[in-house]
Amino acid sequence: MFAQFFGAFLLNNKLVSPDTLAQAIDDKKNTRMRLGVLAINAGLMTADQVEHVNVAQQSVDKRFGDLCVDLGYLTNADVERLLSEQPTDYLLLGQTLVNNGSLTNAEFENAISAYKTQYQLSDDDISNNQNDKLSAIVKDFFHFNTAENARIYTDYVTLLFKSFIRFIGDDFTPIESTVINEIEAQYIVCQKIHGKYTAELAIACPKEEYIAFAERFAKETFTEVDEYVNEVVGEFLNVNNGLFVVNESNQSGIELSLDPQDYIHNGKVKFDKQAFCIPVAFAFGEIEFIISVT
Amino acid sequence: MDFKDIKILLCDDSMFARKKLGMFLSSLGVVNISEASDGEDAVNKYKEVAPDLVFMDIVMPKLTGIEALKAIKEYDSKAKVVMASSVGTQSHLKQAIVLGAYDFVQKPIDDAQVEKIIRNAMK
Repeated sequence: MFAQFFGAFLLNNKLVSPDTLAQAIDDKKNTRMRLGVLAINAGLMTADQVEHVNVAQQSVDKRFGDLCVDLGYLTNADVERLLSEQPTDYLLLGQTLVNNGSLTNAEFENAISAYKTQYQLSDDDISNNQNDKLSAIVKDFFHFNTAENARIYTDYVTLLFKSFIRFIGDDFTPIESTVINEIEAQYIVCQKIHGKYTAELAIACPKEEYIAFAERFAKETFTEVDEYVNEVVGEFLNVNNGLFVVNESNQSGIELSLDPQDYIHNGKVKFDKQAFCIPVAFAFGEIEFIISVT
Repeated sequence: MDFKDIKILLCDDSMFARKKLGMFLSSLGVVNISEASDGEDAVNKYKEVAPDLVFMDIVMPKLTGIEALKAIKEYDSKAKVVMASSVGTQSHLKQAIVLGAYDFVQKPIDDAQVEKIIRNAMK
């Protein structure tokens, strides 16, 4: 999930355009990491040093790693360690953007440094997918600290993004949230969680995105929205909400129940209190996720 | 008992959830599969087809899966009802155990777990 928020960070800081980012997310599965980006990320080389080696490599028939050692930028042990590490997803995204010329090595160096500083991330946090760090990013990114039930919003949305990655795909970028009182859309699926508190959850989007979302979850192909497609999207919401309710029961001792889902076509849903509307840009288009906790 | 001999009833208000589990059961060789789309329907279908094993969602209209489990166990104390739900909370598990549920699977359903439950039920 660090890759998705790194993408959002690049977007919000206007370092890449939405189209460039979308293309890079699509391309990153074919990207192979290069030693220069790995060394910059690890803080072992600066972008200037990487550029120096790149220039030197044009006149010497040597591998990049060997030249780094010759020039004293890296040791053989550094090279071996960097090349043996499994690249994290956000690094693949960064490498793709460097490869296609969207970012220079220097821009990548500044961006990755600023991203890690903003969210106080270490490489270990990212490699181990540290849950508390993911939650901290979610809380900060969507400004949940301004909400009365910050802990619930944060835990729910962190789980939601994990469910997106698990069931829909990792090719998405979270977009900054807005506070709303009602949502109007072509298709809306809602479900209520109730017990010690009430949470209203909804997925809202236009037809094309609704079908694409259902196709991803069901691993089937659809052409029109019918009862079955509604139920597929509804089942995603139900499964995610169920996992959340189980977490609340196991981790916080809070017992909650789920209502059956409601389906709205070309309509509005009003929320009792203010709701966070979280747009998520997938490769197939944008969906909105709405959450209101009272 | 063989997979082709076992009768299974799938109770879930989601057509998609029934289809997904039904496809997996078919891939195992189960041919006698009945479906119910709400709790009330589940109780009626149980009486009608007398299945060897039931997979029961909890969040359903008319009767919840817990209420349907209670009604089925009252009708047939030997009924094997597996709760297959997204809401596997401590209280739901306790309720299901007290009412005599055979097992519990958390959604998203793990096919290997389902196969193991069916094999145990067939012994």
